[in-house]
Amino acid sequence: MANEKVLIVDDDPDLTEALQTILQSRDYVVCTASNVEDGMATAKAEVPDLMILDVMMSTWQDGFNMARSLRQDPQFEKTPILMLTGVKDKTGMDFKEAAGDPSWLPVDGFLDKPVESDVLLAEVEKLLGKGK
Amino acid sequence: MVLSVQNSPLVARAYWLIRLRWLAVLGVIAASAIAGRIFDIPVRLREISLVAAALALYNLAFFLAARYIEKTQDGKSDRIIKFLIDVQIAMDLITLTTLLHYSGGIENPFVLYFVFHMVIASILLSTRESYLHATFAILVFGFMVLLEFKGIIPHHCLKVQGNGHLREDGLYISGSLFAFATTLYLVVYMTNFITSRLRQQEQAYREANIQLKQKDRVKDEYVERVTHDVKGHLAAIQSCLGVLADNLAGPLSERQSEFVNRAHNRTKKLSLFVKTLLKLTQLRLSERIEKDAFLLSEPVCSAVESARPRAKDKSITLSSNIQATGGRISGNRFSIEEMITNMLLNAIKYTPANGTVQVNLTDRGDKLLIEIADTGIGIPTGEIDNVFDEFFRATNARDSEPDGTGLGLSIVRQIVERHGGTIWVESTQGRGSTFKLLLPTVAAPPATVATPPDNTLAP
Repeated sequence: MANEKVLIVDDDPDLTEALQTILQSRDYVVCTASNVEDGMATAKAEVPDLMILDVMMSTWQDGFNMARSLRQDPQFEKTPILMLTGVKDKTGMDFKEAAGDPSWLPVDGFLDKPVESDVLLAEVEKLLGKGK
Repeated sequence: MVLSVQNSPLVARAYWLIRLRWLAVLGVIAASAIAGRIFDIPVRLREISLVAAALALYNLAFFLAARYIEKTQDGKSDRIIKFLIDVQIAMDLITLTTLLHYSGGIENPFVLYFVFHMVIASILLSTRESYLHATFAILVFGFMVLLEFKGIIPHHCLKVQGNGHLREDGLYISGSLFAFATTLYLVVYMTNFITSRLRQQEQAYREANIQLKQKDRVKDEYVERVTHDVKGHLAAIQSCLGVLADNLAGPLSERQSEFVNRAHNRTKKLSLFVKTLLKLTQLRLSERIEKDAFLLSEPVCSAVESARPRAKDKSITLSSNIQATGGRISGNRFSIEEMITNMLLNAIKYTPANGTVQVNLTDRGDKLLIEIADTGIGIPTGEIDNVFDEFFRATNARDSEPDGTGLGLSIVRQIVERHGGTIWVESTQGRGSTFKLLLPTVAAPPATVATPPDNTLAP
């Protein structure tokens, strides 16, 4: 199986690099971007198999907007998106509750920051359908 | 003058009373002079002057006593001052009775002036003491009248002009009307002064309360901002340490690995603390009211299932008795489930191995009662009232579990109150605790479709 490509879009460079290292330890190919525009451009150029988005970058809904734009693009309609919700508490929303509703929250998984490496790897594997 | 009385220290009230009495001395002298000289009423000037002198004298004595007590007792003098006020009022009642005795006894219309003494007593003293003074006034005056009636002491008649009928005596009628008018006006003046003062205070309290709430909100917003920023940095630190701890950035020596693990563990604990604090603060700040109706038995059963593995690990019997299967409450099902799960985990945490944790859900009229009973370490009697306070941890909880934020039960209480419920705990140290939650039920499930909590997120 070819090494899967994961795109991380997060504005925290330290966190991004940590996540990147974790993923690379399992031989994922990782590309990163630090804002929505970069993220969209990198997604188009690299065509990742999975995208990890931070919910809050410069504004608190950057991640949501990006997820929605991606879903409208036929190219990424089916690409799994994992949302890192450092803002779960910030918005006061319980994302688990809303995750089933693709109309307004078109993502496949949520992890609350900070995320432990084993949890991240398990979730990434699940979303990539390793067990399929 | 009354303005300063209501909330002033007792000694200030005593001084107020003394100041009033100087006015009374002047009033007595002026009144008898006017009556005798201008209206030519034959008053017992000698006796009345003696009474006025006695009034002045004991007022001076009280003034000096108050000064002395104030200087020597230094704030610890409340009981003595109170006694002093009691004695003063009693003396005043006797003095007024004596004055009335020498100026017509029961015939004197100025008997109405007892009313002022009662108003003053009610301002200065407690309800009970005021009633006692009223009773004392009735007894003293009644006794004087009785003695005059029986002829044991002489009755000094008001000299009647005209045909010997009081109703035809112009001076008596004017005097009565004067006493009547002054009494009415002064009583209205005094009571109004007090009540307007009270209204002002009430308003001030209300405003202070609003200000406190606003300040509390500002504090919460501040805490939220700070913890949120701290959380972001912590997340990065934790992930970076995680990379090291898992040897993802190359192998570490045993010693290095030990320290990295320590740092990683401490970061995890700090993260948990910050997250919990953030959650509590957001609960306090959030004004969103969830309105979905759901069967309370569902989150309770799910919570029991979520906690079951942990109970099994500690060989704790976790059992539930769900009677109210049809009871619905209105609110957020997920936060209720999370809350009950956390309470169960908490009960398991503080219950020694082989203990039991029992969950009951029963119908209580228009409310549902959840009981979570454990056979754990319990809460020391003196600390039961504090367990829901923020950052509070019972002393024995701290001994048995060093880690803990002291925020868990504060969050529980926030969630319960948000759902219009109440929570309390019954506990015996060493034998266990029972947490009880009462949540109000709703009649039927409203047919609403789940909508996004924030419409800016809608596509």
